[in-house]
Amino acid sequence: MGKHSMRSLFVLFFKYSNMNLKLALEYKLNRSLIALAIFCREMIGVVVMFLILLRFLHIRGWEIHEMLFLYSFLFLSYSLFVLLFAGIRDFDNMVHSGDFDRLLTRPLGLMYQIISARIDFTATIGHGVVGIVLFMNTAFSVGIEWNWQNSLYYVLALIGGTIIQASLFLLSACFSFWAVKTENLRNLIFFNARRIAGYPLSFYPVFIQKLLIFVIPFSFVNYFPAQYFLRKDGSFWEGYLYLTPVVGALLFYLVFLLWKLGVRSYTSTGNSVY
Amino acid sequence: MALIEVTDLVKEYKLNVRKKGLSGAIRSLLVPEFKLKRAVDSISFTIDKGDTVGFIGPNGAGKSTTVKMLTGILAPTSGSITVGGLSPFKERKKNAMRIGVVFGQKTQLWWDLPVIDTFDLLRHIYRIPAQAYKHNLAMFSEMLGLQDFINVPVRQLSLGQKMRADIAAALLHDPEILFFDEPTIGLDVVAKEKIREFITFVNREKGTTMLFTTHDMDDIERTCNRMIIIDKGTKIYDGTVEDIKRTYGNDRIMVVEFGEKAEPIRIPGVELIDAKDNRMWLRFHKDEIQASLILNRLTQKYSISDFTVQEPEIEGIIRDIYLGGIHLDKSVSGVC
Repeated sequence: MGKHSMRSLFVLFFKYSNMNLKLALEYKLNRSLIALAIFCREMIGVVVMFLILLRFLHIRGWEIHEMLFLYSFLFLSYSLFVLLFAGIRDFDNMVHSGDFDRLLTRPLGLMYQIISARIDFTATIGHGVVGIVLFMNTAFSVGIEWNWQNSLYYVLALIGGTIIQASLFLLSACFSFWAVKTENLRNLIFFNARRIAGYPLSFYPVFIQKLLIFVIPFSFVNYFPAQYFLRKDGSFWEGYLYLTPVVGALLFYLVFLLWKLGVRSYTSTGNSVY
Repeated sequence: MALIEVTDLVKEYKLNVRKKGLSGAIRSLLVPEFKLKRAVDSISFTIDKGDTVGFIGPNGAGKSTTVKMLTGILAPTSGSITVGGLSPFKERKKNAMRIGVVFGQKTQLWWDLPVIDTFDLLRHIYRIPAQAYKHNLAMFSEMLGLQDFINVPVRQLSLGQKMRADIAAALLHDPEILFFDEPTIGLDVVAKEKIREFITFVNREKGTTMLFTTHDMDDIERTCNRMIIIDKGTKIYDGTVEDIKRTYGNDRIMVVEFGEKAEPIRIPGVELIDAKDNRMWLRFHKDEIQASLILNRLTQKYSISDFTVQEPEIEGIIRDIYLGGIHLDKSVSGVC
């Protein structure tokens, strides 16, 4: 018995993943159906958008494949997000059910436990397949040269985008320390921003552009990475194109500080306030 | 040095005051009003290594809050706690390595996976050496009969099996202190007995310090050498079960069965509670009149075919304390 080393934390992380995989396999049919349902739900959105876009050759210089390439970032990074950070997504539930109490009695960091204890393979597949379908159909027809620099940029942007989304979820999770149920707040912050980010940022009025760059930086998840490859609009600062990983790391750090503050005022509503 | 030291512990909650009606709901949304609720109001106590202590008190008395502060779940508002020299909240991870926690109403086992999978995960979480893990697992399996269901998914277990597995899970890493929150809630008599036996055994063999919160007085009587009664956030008693019984358990009830139909008899200091067929229930105070004297008086008039004298149960005494029927006297040792 003793303190954890980096190595033992790594081993434990795989142990947790293993448990989650077993869990998913315990209900194979059920989970497969859920994955299929997620795929269909998201795909319908994509198809509707595709059908509408078919009526135009291009909108403000954006062609249909380019729009869908922009869209693919949303799905791939979200898929990665639920693979790595499903615990953050489900955090308010954890507080509400009292499971968070249990984490506090374990000799492990709280964030470590939240991240490793929950992996949503079902949603990862559901969103991931949509992302891959979009990517495969667009990435090679919009004039991107897939050399190693671009590939590296792509991977970093994807990871950065994943962390930005994790930060936004964590931000809404923070409020569960004070308000317990935060679903609506999360829908307000996250899903609205995500819907707006489905279209190029340059389509929107300046106010919304500023909102998506400085307040809820969803533009770094898909618009700026896509812009790096496609170079469609010249109205934004060139530097934004390279900032996705930085914004991700910085945002996560800031929200993490707030989260730490929240833990201090946690009042454990699990079974009773007394 | 005491293993656990708690001094002037206070925990306050900010409660949102909700007003009545729709207009009230809107008002409290716009101008939230808070009320401070003192759940724990300057409690102090010490617990030595190897002690078994029961926390009791009515619902909402503050005992769960106290335990949550001891386990590092909640930060105290003021006052200090040290558990083996550590502050449970500030040095949460270090403290967690040395404690085990069983929540009677909330299992730590993975619901859809076999028990053994959770055990194996805990082995990694607490970095339990292979030898110790094997030894403990074998011992717990034998004593708690885990081998019958260790490969069964937790959702298929009975409440008693789940509780046994949960207790084993909390003990795998040989904690110095074990916290129980209602360990026998909802269990049948045999299951309760088995768990109490096991707990006593572990305390004896491993010297594990144990703290319970429970509403089951039998748990306390059978497993604890000390009890702390908490009411309205303050400690009102800290002593042994025997002391309380000795002081407040002086009422006796004598059930007498007569050989013939008997008329009620008046004996000073004895109260007739009930009479049915040939039987009578008589209440008396053991310091005021001796049982033998009552029997003597009765046998002068009637023949007695059977009799029993009942001591009050601790449960009844505690109930009277909660309801305010008994005011703990300062002269009794342990009353605070």
